[in-house]
Amino acid sequence: MAKMIDSIFKLYLTIKIDRIETKIAFLKEYQPILIDTLKEKNDKKLQKVALKHKHQLLPYAIQAGHIDDYALEAKALEIKKVEDQFYWHHRALKQALKRNNNQTAYDSKFALLTSKKNDAIQAIEASYAVSSDLTTAQKAYHLVVEKQKIEYAKVKAKLEEQYVTFSTNKKRLLDEKVSYLNKKLEIALAKFNHYQSGINSLDEMIDQDTILKLDRLSMHFGGLKAVDELSFSVKKGEIFGLIGPNGAGKTTVFNCITRFYKATSGQIFYRNRLNEPLNLNQFVVHNVIKEGIVRTFQNVELIWELPILENLLVAGHTLYRTGFFGQLFNIRRIRREEMIMRQKALKILSDLDLLAYQYAYPIGLPYGILKKIELARTLMVNPQLIILDEPAAGLNDAETDNLALTIKKIRDEYQATIFLVEHDMGLVMEICDTVCAISFGKKLAIGTPKEIQSSQIVREAYLGGE
Amino acid sequence: MMLYSVNRSLERKTKLHQILHHPYFGFFALGFLLLFVQFLRITGVNIPITVLRGLGLTMIYIIIALGFSILLGYAGLASLGTAGFVGIGTYLIGYLTNAKGYSISMILVIGFLGAIAIGTIVGFISLRIEGLYLGIITLGLSEILNEVFKNATAITNGTNGLLMNRIVLFGQYYQFNSNTIFIAIVFILILVMVLTLNIMKSPTGRAMLAMRNSESAAQAMGVSVLKYRLLAFIIATVYAFLGGILYMTYIGFSIPTTWNLAFSLFVLAAVIVGGSQSIAGVVLGTFMIFGLDLAVFQQITFFQENPDITFILNGVLIVVVVMFYPGGLARLLINLKFKITNLVKKLMKKWKAYKYGEDD
Amino acid sequence: MFNETKFWNTFIIIIASLIVVYAIVDIFVLRKLPKRSKNQTTLINGLLILGFASIMVLLIDSLGMFLFLQTIMDKVLGICVLALATTGIVLIFKTSMTTNFAQGSMATLGAFFAARYILYLTATTTLTTIQKVFLAILVSALVAFILGILIDVFIIRKAKHVTSVGKQMITMGLVLVISGLIPVTFGGLPLEIPRLSYDIVPVTLFGQSLSIPQHSIYALYLTVIVLVVLFAALRFTKWGLGVRATASNEIVAKMMGVNTRIITAMSWAIAGALGGLASVLAAPFGGQVTTGLMVSYQVNGFMASILGGFSSFGGPLVGAILIPLLQGLLFYFSNLWQNAIVYLIILLIVLAKPLGLFGKKIAKKV
Repeated sequence: MAKMIDSIFKLYLTIKIDRIETKIAFLKEYQPILIDTLKEKNDKKLQKVALKHKHQLLPYAIQAGHIDDYALEAKALEIKKVEDQFYWHHRALKQALKRNNNQTAYDSKFALLTSKKNDAIQAIEASYAVSSDLTTAQKAYHLVVEKQKIEYAKVKAKLEEQYVTFSTNKKRLLDEKVSYLNKKLEIALAKFNHYQSGINSLDEMIDQDTILKLDRLSMHFGGLKAVDELSFSVKKGEIFGLIGPNGAGKTTVFNCITRFYKATSGQIFYRNRLNEPLNLNQFVVHNVIKEGIVRTFQNVELIWELPILENLLVAGHTLYRTGFFGQLFNIRRIRREEMIMRQKALKILSDLDLLAYQYAYPIGLPYGILKKIELARTLMVNPQLIILDEPAAGLNDAETDNLALTIKKIRDEYQATIFLVEHDMGLVMEICDTVCAISFGKKLAIGTPKEIQSSQIVREAYLGGE
Repeated sequence: MMLYSVNRSLERKTKLHQILHHPYFGFFALGFLLLFVQFLRITGVNIPITVLRGLGLTMIYIIIALGFSILLGYAGLASLGTAGFVGIGTYLIGYLTNAKGYSISMILVIGFLGAIAIGTIVGFISLRIEGLYLGIITLGLSEILNEVFKNATAITNGTNGLLMNRIVLFGQYYQFNSNTIFIAIVFILILVMVLTLNIMKSPTGRAMLAMRNSESAAQAMGVSVLKYRLLAFIIATVYAFLGGILYMTYIGFSIPTTWNLAFSLFVLAAVIVGGSQSIAGVVLGTFMIFGLDLAVFQQITFFQENPDITFILNGVLIVVVVMFYPGGLARLLINLKFKITNLVKKLMKKWKAYKYGEDD
Repeated sequence: MFNETKFWNTFIIIIASLIVVYAIVDIFVLRKLPKRSKNQTTLINGLLILGFASIMVLLIDSLGMFLFLQTIMDKVLGICVLALATTGIVLIFKTSMTTNFAQGSMATLGAFFAARYILYLTATTTLTTIQKVFLAILVSALVAFILGILIDVFIIRKAKHVTSVGKQMITMGLVLVISGLIPVTFGGLPLEIPRLSYDIVPVTLFGQSLSIPQHSIYALYLTVIVLVVLFAALRFTKWGLGVRATASNEIVAKMMGVNTRIITAMSWAIAGALGGLASVLAAPFGGQVTTGLMVSYQVNGFMASILGGFSSFGGPLVGAILIPLLQGLLFYFSNLWQNAIVYLIILLIVLAKPLGLFGKKIAKKV
């Protein structure tokens, strides 16, 4: 009975810790975005003011003899406009001549047009002429410049002040909130650890630096033993490869870990973000991702009716904390969450060089890109363990090389453990730290890529005995 | 930290442009148009009452169809039980007002809870049965409900139909005034459209779409199939109940033969013909399937004399749209817009060639 | 003669006890055993057979042998018509992956042509009723046959990329078109189809002297012959193999050289013909021929199909036999709710076995 109460209390604590952590993450991500948005806005405002001033100054500058590049450009633009007009009118005239064959009318109209054009150009030239009374013009010019400088400085100071107060306020608020939450988190964690040390017997089953451990896992389909008493463990932070001939049961192992299949017998242990040991057999499919396990699929399983960016947002589904009614009435919180998630998704897309595809739909994109998008999708939830089901299947050599780089980059930048099934031996040998070979659901050998390469049993399994 | 440009629509635009391109603009425009029609009638312009009645009914059907579009277009579940659920809504308000004298706010709360209960039951059924099988099972459910409407004479008054000519509001009886109710329906329609759009664009809508596209991918991304199937059915049922309650308040009469298979199929047709994933499409589709007949054809003597022709027209419309525009009328409109802009561009080019001659 | 309350009490007790037994065994025994789902299926099958047997015994017990058998005799025609309609629906479901709502309307159109033809025959020739009706059946089947081919060639074949719900919508549109066309074409004329024969034949079965209309016997012969020929064709001919191949995977079938176009067209045509036959057999009992002639058979056909499971042809046939029979037998205990109760039973059975009584599960790969 006491044990049950303890476990209920532990569950409550886990939920609480989870909530506080996401709140902190939310605040930490949201405030900088807010501040940056203001900064961007202010910059735009300043630019606008500067442009306005330049326009105002132009006539004074010309009269005062300060003919710089900007003035010349403006003049050229105006002249070009007149000439363009002339060009089109002229073409219309020529066309009319072709139709009516009335040379005299054409001549008179052409003369009129030319004189008009010349007049206009002369007027422009005159407006860009230096004033005869240089001293007064220069005086006026300097006056305006001074005035504008003061005005500009005023606007800038105002905006900057606004920015500073805004950002300091926000930062202070953030610090206050975060420190408050951290305190709460500490208390919760302390309680949690207390309970964990008291009742957790799983701790002995899985080592501290191991993230995933399969213990005599079996999966039978009728009489077929797809996985047969398989045991191995994956260390934190490594790239672990699972290889084997076709039908060896590799994908079945993945499906057992991600709970798509319920294992016939055996245990799967896993250490989550809080370093808490879990037995994955007690999880439902859609809850596995909440502990930081994400997977990709052998055949690309994207949401074809959504653009790439929103595909990533679907992957972040578990991170949203606003309930259904919040979403129904589109309250401020959900709008903020959307903003953060979009920024996060865009950052991941730019990290993987996919930013160009953000508005594209998956239909019609090359297969390599789709595979990469699936990879990007796994990164949305701050994964602990990424499970890749044949990431290089269907890719050409260049794409495979690119993929190898990407996988390494993900491991280094996102501090995730990567567990993959692959047929492409080149890729496996190149990137994996540990490789496990299985055949007919049974483990053949486990070790570094070199050991596996030189193993006789593995070779026999692939090429047949003798 | 670098800020990525989030959305094209966030770029600075003029105020007018912002208003015109606001996602809710269309809903309010439609609402004001309908209110304007009602206003014209009140001020004495000779608009036949049947036209207004047709428009009011069409609006109620739009509400029902919107719930269905979430079910079909987002969660990917086909149901043929709509008629039964709408029927329950009508009898609920009819019975509670006539026999018990409950106020309308109370009835709305009861209807809401009842819809949640029924939606949950059907949602659980949908977990075990999928695809066209689900359609037939819900059809069976609708048939059962229809039998109940016919035979539970104490509540539904059987095949004679249930009359209701007054409603209770704040403890007082009010006689019907179809003008007032029309205006109320317009406002409810606007609200429902806004809320539906919010659902469609929210993480919930995306999760449902993910579920429809690939269930395993959705599950791997943390989408609980149970939760979202139940939610989709609950939304659809709540909308159907609301539609039923409004129908009874507006028409004041409900008879079992209205809530038959044909009605469910017409709602399905409205959603599919319009385009199951867009609100504009659903509005257009419902107008095509229900509104044209109710508000337009019935005013023309030719169709009054040959009512079967409307059947044929409707049928041909459904077949043609589904065959050639699987995306529905919404897709057709987008294509049409594209074609018109292309045509205008072409004409401009021709005019230029005429005036200025071919390019050198 | 029989006690209504007692019957319903026992009926509810049987169903409730089945559910309770299932729940107890599932929770306390099966959860502890490996291979739960397989045992679950066995348990459900066993309980279904037990429940069916006990309800039948209950019905015989409370109705008495005479009424029980007489009801079966009365329902022979209903069973025949439903069996024909259901087979048509399943045939189309297999080849076009859609539930055909127009099955009833196609048949009704056939019945209208048949009735018009009978009118013509009466005016011009001196044939006996049975000859006229027999010719009318041929006309009805032929019309529906051609209509089926037309629908497939001009509509379903062109709608290759439409989803199955979309195709369902197309058939629904066809219902509207056909039910709009019928009054336009045949408007004004009161059309009737006579029975094949108005005799009533005495039958002795299990020591009970019963009676059955001659029309039902003819209908039974016709149905049995047609269905046996059809099932033999499905089993032994190249066309039947093609239908089964198309049903399991259309694209692969096409690649293997099966002409899926002809297969689908023929399926629509044969489904139409079956409907046409059924509608002429059913028409005499509704007075005049109306557009709503086949509506109830349409709905019951769907229910029979999911009760038996779309994956086989035999399953829906069992459903088609059970539904009218149960409706007829329950009529004596509740003449208002018999349909609702039958549908409820079907709902419960389908919840227990989502693919129908005889459905087979196809595993999905992740």
